[in-house]
Amino acid sequence: MSSSQPYVTGDSGPARRRLSPDRAALSDALPLVIPAIPFGFVLGLAMTESEMPLWAAWLTSPLVFAGAAQLTMVTIAGTASLWAIISAVLVINSRHVMYSAALAPSFRHQPGWMRRLAPFVLVDQLFAVAMLHTDDPPASFRRYYLTFGIFFFTIWNLAVPLGMVAGPVIPESWQLDFAPVVMFAGLTLFAIKRVPAGVAALVGGLVSLLAAGLSDRLGILVGAVTGVLAGAIVDQWLTARNSPEPRTDAV
Amino acid sequence: MSHGAAALVLAVCALGTYLFRGSVILLFGDRTFPPTIERALQNVGPAVLAALTVNLAVSGGGGSGVTIVGAEIAALAVACGVAVWRKNLLWTLAAGMAALWILTAL
Repeated sequence: MSSSQPYVTGDSGPARRRLSPDRAALSDALPLVIPAIPFGFVLGLAMTESEMPLWAAWLTSPLVFAGAAQLTMVTIAGTASLWAIISAVLVINSRHVMYSAALAPSFRHQPGWMRRLAPFVLVDQLFAVAMLHTDDPPASFRRYYLTFGIFFFTIWNLAVPLGMVAGPVIPESWQLDFAPVVMFAGLTLFAIKRVPAGVAALVGGLVSLLAAGLSDRLGILVGAVTGVLAGAIVDQWLTARNSPEPRTDAV
Repeated sequence: MSHGAAALVLAVCALGTYLFRGSVILLFGDRTFPPTIERALQNVGPAVLAALTVNLAVSGGGGSGVTIVGAEIAALAVACGVAVWRKNLLWTLAAGMAALWILTAL
């Protein structure tokens, strides 16, 4: 995990280094968008069975653009109070504050329009790959980010209405709902480059497992915050141990 | 659910999600953080992604039930092995899903 070999999401090795930011973004987006399509279908189907008016359910795709939150909205629309729906959605999406914080340093060198537009398409998948491109020059980071974001937004907004119309065409026995789990597991491993990051991932995963019973996917937030804290503590400890501090006998 | 209520839920959720995603980028776009914070932010990705993976795994995608079966754990282990070995997401997806299908069929 700590090797310096570059990660590859789509194309293989040497050819990839010549790819323009657009091509790299599309080839990275491809394996990530494939598992999102059946999920979009399932969501579209759930919308047709929802208590929510169809127009409003459909508009969650272009306006909220967050699969898990959308599914929660349309599923509990008939049974929960308005504030229960809103708070459930906001709790589920609270992890995006952490994405915003983690990516903020990369947006310091971006123009104002980019800073205002970019958050709109900041889904889990884009965050995961954007974190691997934070050392790119600002212009190519921008191209990469926007190409990936617009592509993902387009496919998502095609898949969900298709699901509303076509219903379940993918057999359940394919277990495609497991594909996002596999993808995010791989992306987690790609994101680990230092020991504290490994600790953060390990603690984050374990705590979210213990907290999996919490409602509204609160376990994600609890696990993530604990993981970041654990990583920071280990980071401090390693830094203190590795840097031979000058002896301050006087203090 | 009435049309008005749906419009309200939609508007609040859309705006809230945008503000969450934009929060730090929009508010602190020009500022640098203290080195300790900058270093801690580098661990956000691994921590959130690991928590998200585990949460999705035990709750089966969009559902609310808390279950994970042996075949899924084994398929995840295979996928993680391939991810570290090949450092390629397509291979990871192919290996993980193939392992799941084979193990479920057994």
